[in-house]
Amino acid sequence: MNLLHFFRPPPLDPMLQVVSGASIFRDCTRSELETLRLHLHERHFLEGEIVFDEGEEGEGMYVVITGKLKAVRKGMLKKKTLGEIGPGESFGEMAMLGASPRVATVVATEPTTVLAMFRPELLRLAEGRPRLGYKIAMGVARVLETRMRQTADGHLEKSLTA
Amino acid sequence: MSDLNPSARSLEHPILWVAVIAGTLGAIVLLNTIAWLTLPLVLAVVFYYLVEPLLQRMQLAGATPNQALGIFLGAAILVTAIASVTILPAMLNGLSEFQNNLPDYWDRLQMVMRNNLLLMEDKFHFAKKAKLAEAFQNQIDRFASTSGKEHIADVAIFLLHWLPSLLLVPFLAFFFLRDGAAVHRLVLRAVPNAFFEKTLILFDRLNRQMHAYFRGMLGLTLLDTVTLGLGLWFLGHGPGIFGFRDAMVLGLICAVFAWVPYIGSALGGLVAVATCAVKAPQAGWLMLAVVVLFLLVRMLDEFVYTPMTVGRALRMHPLITVMMIFTGGMLGGVYGLLLAMPLLGVFSVLGQMFGEIWFDPRLRARHQARILLEKRLASKDLEV
Repeated sequence: MNLLHFFRPPPLDPMLQVVSGASIFRDCTRSELETLRLHLHERHFLEGEIVFDEGEEGEGMYVVITGKLKAVRKGMLKKKTLGEIGPGESFGEMAMLGASPRVATVVATEPTTVLAMFRPELLRLAEGRPRLGYKIAMGVARVLETRMRQTADGHLEKSLTA
Repeated sequence: MSDLNPSARSLEHPILWVAVIAGTLGAIVLLNTIAWLTLPLVLAVVFYYLVEPLLQRMQLAGATPNQALGIFLGAAILVTAIASVTILPAMLNGLSEFQNNLPDYWDRLQMVMRNNLLLMEDKFHFAKKAKLAEAFQNQIDRFASTSGKEHIADVAIFLLHWLPSLLLVPFLAFFFLRDGAAVHRLVLRAVPNAFFEKTLILFDRLNRQMHAYFRGMLGLTLLDTVTLGLGLWFLGHGPGIFGFRDAMVLGLICAVFAWVPYIGSALGGLVAVATCAVKAPQAGWLMLAVVVLFLLVRMLDEFVYTPMTVGRALRMHPLITVMMIFTGGMLGGVYGLLLAMPLLGVFSVLGQMFGEIWFDPRLRARHQARILLEKRLASKDLEV
């Protein structure tokens, strides 16, 4: 029993445990997640603090470790809340594909810890470990596909009820 | 591509340009003040930028940072041991041969200079009137009798003073390689949230520029060495003036001189011409051919090699380049000459970074909001 315990790898970093649950990174192995950790930046936001603004040039994506945030968009008359983002969820993924303007403003609604990953780092990572780069790129595509589907469904619902 | 070419972006505020130039010159003065540390520091930084991509590749292949560094150190020690057994004795032989031939080379150089000055005196009245050859000979005699010995003593003291500081190079490079990433993270952690994304991207740009510059300079030196070495060998092997090894060593010396833009190439050319004058004083055509060779290599450098290697990342307006080199040389001697351009490149990216972050009103407002939130949080239980 003790011998088995000796060979068992140490438990995964709690932050990486949360990251491994995020849709983008769900296919990554333990060693890939540990490599990834070297490229993730931990940031802490206070309640009410803006992570990024709508229209700002995006350079990276974030995974929520603890806390909660909301995504808001400027409407014709008032701001519209698009949704809430909680632990294990990611946001800002479109910036991983290219320097495009952010589509919404993200604000922390309670003290929040996130891990940030930036496009140049992903590109470097993909160059050195193409398999890991491919998995992340597929993860980003998967998340964006889900968002697009949700948006299309929302539009369809609206036009049917109108 | 614009990300790779930061200097092509304009520094929008004129005050930033002034700050960039002042910062560069200030850094040169500072580095010259701590000159004994500058040389090992610069060499360690160059070493870091050349080796770090290799370590990163090893880490991406699955090695931990310490394993990657260990593998590299093991390989470096092995290569140094092999080189000290195989190459070092040959190098020492070459140096001893050069030392034996030095008095002969010195005499021949004097003779060539004297003959040329006598030729000038024959052709030009003002030269005859000034007794150029005699004045030159007097200067040489004075140098050889008194100052020469003083200079040799100066050189010996200089070497005694500098050699121990060179031992710092592997020490500094080791810690840069081991803790560089951690220091980078520590610095980034201190950046406020509002400025974080921009700072990270600009740091990345600065890092890539430094990598590209040092790798490019190494490639450029290699290409210059091979081109000049082959050219000198081609010109000199017929009359038996240059062997292949001699030509390559001379090519390498001239390529190292070329690290100082514009002025370095001219100095390298002078060294090569002086070597020809010493080795074959009667072959005037050879000196002319060497000058032509240097002009050709300069053009190759300008239009083919530099765009291929260093790229245009650090290319500034030639006027600014020359002014900065001369001012740098005046303020910081040899260090100023060598470091003026890389430092100007670094400071221009830093200036641009500061400009992009500090002059963005929205980012500043967000930072102010964060400070207010912190204050409110700190005084929450104090509210009446």
